[in-house]
Amino acid sequence: MKDDSVKHPQAAAEFLKDRAQAKWHDSAIWWVRQKRDAQAKQLPEWEELRRLAREIKAHTLSQLDDYLAQFEANAQKNGVTVHWAADADEHNRIVHGILAARQVKKLVKSKSMLTEECGLNPYLEQRGIEVVDTDLGERIVQLRHEAPSHIVMPAIHLKKEQISELFHKELGTEAGNNDPTYLTHAARANLREHFLTADAGLTGVNFAIAETGGVVVCTNEGNADLGTSLPPIHIASMGLEKIIPKLEHLGVFTRLLARSAIGSPVTTYTSHFHQARPGGEMHIVIVDNGRSDILGNEDFYQSLRCIRCGACMNTCPVYRRSSGFSYSYIIPGPIGSTLGPSRDMKKHGSMAFACSTCGSCSNVCPVKINLHEQLVLHRKKAFDQNLLPTGKKMGLLAMRFLTQHPALFDLGGKVMRKVVPIIPESLTRHSAWSRAGRDLPPMPAQSFKEQYQQRSQNKKDKQDKKDKEEQQ
Amino acid sequence: MSTRDSILARIRQNRPQATALPDIHAVPFIRYDNPFEAFATLIRNLGGDAVQLAAGQSVADIVASRWPDAGRTVDLTLPEHEEVSDPHAWHDVDVAIVPGQLAVAENATVWVSHPDNHFRSIYFLTQKLVLVVPRDAMVDTMRDAYARIDMAEHGFGAFISGSSRTADIEQSLVMGAHGAMAALVIFV
Repeated sequence: MKDDSVKHPQAAAEFLKDRAQAKWHDSAIWWVRQKRDAQAKQLPEWEELRRLAREIKAHTLSQLDDYLAQFEANAQKNGVTVHWAADADEHNRIVHGILAARQVKKLVKSKSMLTEECGLNPYLEQRGIEVVDTDLGERIVQLRHEAPSHIVMPAIHLKKEQISELFHKELGTEAGNNDPTYLTHAARANLREHFLTADAGLTGVNFAIAETGGVVVCTNEGNADLGTSLPPIHIASMGLEKIIPKLEHLGVFTRLLARSAIGSPVTTYTSHFHQARPGGEMHIVIVDNGRSDILGNEDFYQSLRCIRCGACMNTCPVYRRSSGFSYSYIIPGPIGSTLGPSRDMKKHGSMAFACSTCGSCSNVCPVKINLHEQLVLHRKKAFDQNLLPTGKKMGLLAMRFLTQHPALFDLGGKVMRKVVPIIPESLTRHSAWSRAGRDLPPMPAQSFKEQYQQRSQNKKDKQDKKDKEEQQ
Repeated sequence: MSTRDSILARIRQNRPQATALPDIHAVPFIRYDNPFEAFATLIRNLGGDAVQLAAGQSVADIVASRWPDAGRTVDLTLPEHEEVSDPHAWHDVDVAIVPGQLAVAENATVWVSHPDNHFRSIYFLTQKLVLVVPRDAMVDTMRDAYARIDMAEHGFGAFISGSSRTADIEQSLVMGAHGAMAALVIFV
């Protein structure tokens, strides 16, 4: 489970202590962003796809109750049992109820951020059920007793040496063998045993289709498929915002998801579950857990369009340089930084400030959520609710005073330009804005305003001169 | 009030302003001059391969020449084939030859869906997956694909592209995560 007492600035500073790893983290994730761009450029209709996705989701949210009811009715027609959970606890009770009634000893789970959000694993483990996460990255963090640090790449914060050491201890692999292929295939052999001996499988849901009453799950590893085609019980946990109206709309979303998420044209498996396997049963748990409240908030309901691709984190300069563990909510990065504070401003308020308002997240989002604008609005809310640390609050108040008094602002700038160059470095080195390798920039001779005025004046002089010459 | 009804009531109360559903068919999507070429190029990058059956050649010939030392082989494209009652019974299949109903050029996926869902596990348990697709069952994009498939038909269906893969260890791409280690698409 995620530690919700994390404060972003402190946790980020901690992450940045290991400069080499932080640099690797940044470049590995940026590479995924570049792959996403390459994929987007291959489709002339890319921007149209984003527009369609945005509009389909916006429409669905405006009639969400109708579509959910339609989905439920169609799923029931397929022989699927549909459950409703108001919150995390009810979700966990329902899942445990299904498993306990059938004496399930072992559950194989595909990666699901919703079950992370609900804290399902510890809930079931406390009740004697063995839970095996089967996505490789998720399995790695499970063995380390950690939460995922990224929603698509759960173990992106780790180096292969750390994974090798973990597997040596947990799976008996050769000590010091850091080869990713060797390690992956060792995990494959181990998890196959679990797939073949599990009594039930649980998956998340990428898309739920109202028209057909089925759910779609996308993985590259095939873990959702092994976990649902072998055990007799399939439980699918879905957030209620996962609905799309018709089958044909999948033709928009399945084109956007993997391209945005991992820069690949598609995931290896895009599986459509409408019925249990023969002799088995299928359950779908529809979870609210705060979503219907966000729906009623005009400023923030757009975040419910999210398809959880993670493109916003991959492009975010702050996420890449601070890692998922610097965020207090289970979903990190820009989308988590709006969802978290929407849920609980007191716990997750610091996340909205982990943002440079560069807007890159909004520009890559496949469903065009106005992420950076939402983060600015959350900051205002945090300020209004008096939730900022005193230093930050005083700084903002001072800034407000200055910007409301232009003459004072000019004077302040003038003083800074004179004083900063003569302050000894030993005094500036320990400020929040400065650390080793990031010195204060040289002070310019003029303020921006002065430069702008100067330039306008020069332009005017030039024009006047030209006019005069033409007159002569 | 039940949880269901209270959730639906809260949603009804919080519904954002109504907006229209867009017409996804009004937008031109990409078309490929040579869909097979596009498909084959892509699938090679995704840990798979695609070939067209030559005259006088059989699927079995191609499979035998590619994997001469193959272990247990199951061919679901034959009218008479092995059947099992428990999906676990496929656990030691080395090569599975399965019918694919449709291929998509833009992402090198093949749609699989079988009338007998007992066979569902074989796609994922097998070490090597061979998908046999009719040459004319090729569409450009996923939009065309969804227009052609019937979801109610079998209760389960999947688009499969290449081999099972992961990049969860330091972003190194590894083929063979849980599903098939190799995938071959044969157009017949």
